[in-house]
Amino acid sequence: MDFVKSLSIAATGLRAQAGRMRVIAENLANANSTASSTGGDPYRRKVPTFEAKFDRELDAQTVSLGRIQRDTSEFQNRYEPGHPAADARGYVRYPNVNSLIEAADLKEAQRSYEANLNVVTATRRMITKTLDLLRT
Amino acid sequence: MATFTVINPKLTMAPADCARIGAVLCRLKGRSMILNDVPLVGMLKTRMGWLEDRQRVLAQNVANADTPGFRTRDIEPLDYRKAVSQPPPQKTTLALTNPEHIAATASGDSDRYGRPRVKTSEIRPSGNAVVLEEEMMKVAQNQIDYQAATSLYSRSLGLIKTALGKSR
Repeated sequence: MDFVKSLSIAATGLRAQAGRMRVIAENLANANSTASSTGGDPYRRKVPTFEAKFDRELDAQTVSLGRIQRDTSEFQNRYEPGHPAADARGYVRYPNVNSLIEAADLKEAQRSYEANLNVVTATRRMITKTLDLLRT
Repeated sequence: MATFTVINPKLTMAPADCARIGAVLCRLKGRSMILNDVPLVGMLKTRMGWLEDRQRVLAQNVANADTPGFRTRDIEPLDYRKAVSQPPPQKTTLALTNPEHIAATASGDSDRYGRPRVKTSEIRPSGNAVVLEEEMMKVAQNQIDYQAATSLYSRSLGLIKTALGKSR
């Protein structure tokens, strides 16, 4: 039945978006994770990637979370002389996580997730209609 | 030819009618799904199959809403005239003129996962051309169309039941 295929495709979308949300949550949680001693690198922001993969069985392009890459942009510097990870000039390197960007990404992931859920709901209604034919 | 028994021997019938009923019964025996012979029901089945396919292509669009470089796909709209002129979808088959031949089952629809749509309303910098709102509208439309098709289908079955005198 093709509807089951539609459901499976939507499920890959749900899984990918959920994985993306997990990465975003990780970034947000570590927004203030500095190194514990001088010279160490703080947390580096992770960037989720999506890959379209042709699924022979489903006969469609499914989506999956690709390699999670690292954001190579500069760390933020904050003047905190008393911090254990502060350098000689009193600056501490903070992660390159911008919570505003993460919040926007989270919103987008949520929107895409809901869209996939919508497809699941619509497909389930269509399956119900098909099964209703048996009752006539 | 299939054999059939006359249920009511007293029933008088014109030879032409007899032949017609015989043909119907032959079809009854030869086919797994007799309902395909009723043009309307056969067409509705084709329509439902098309909507099912489209749902899969739309699910693919939505799932890939954030995949870089993905273009929206859709399938060819169902041709009403073609559907009317040939109710059951005709499969292309090769003639086997030699027992050594291998039967080939080629299906007419070559592009089953949809072709990229030429007209795109917006392409994001990542090369992704999926507009979620548009896709949601299409999914909703598809669902409504499917509902219409199934209701018509059950109504047609009701008609046949009425004709058979089984409705209450």
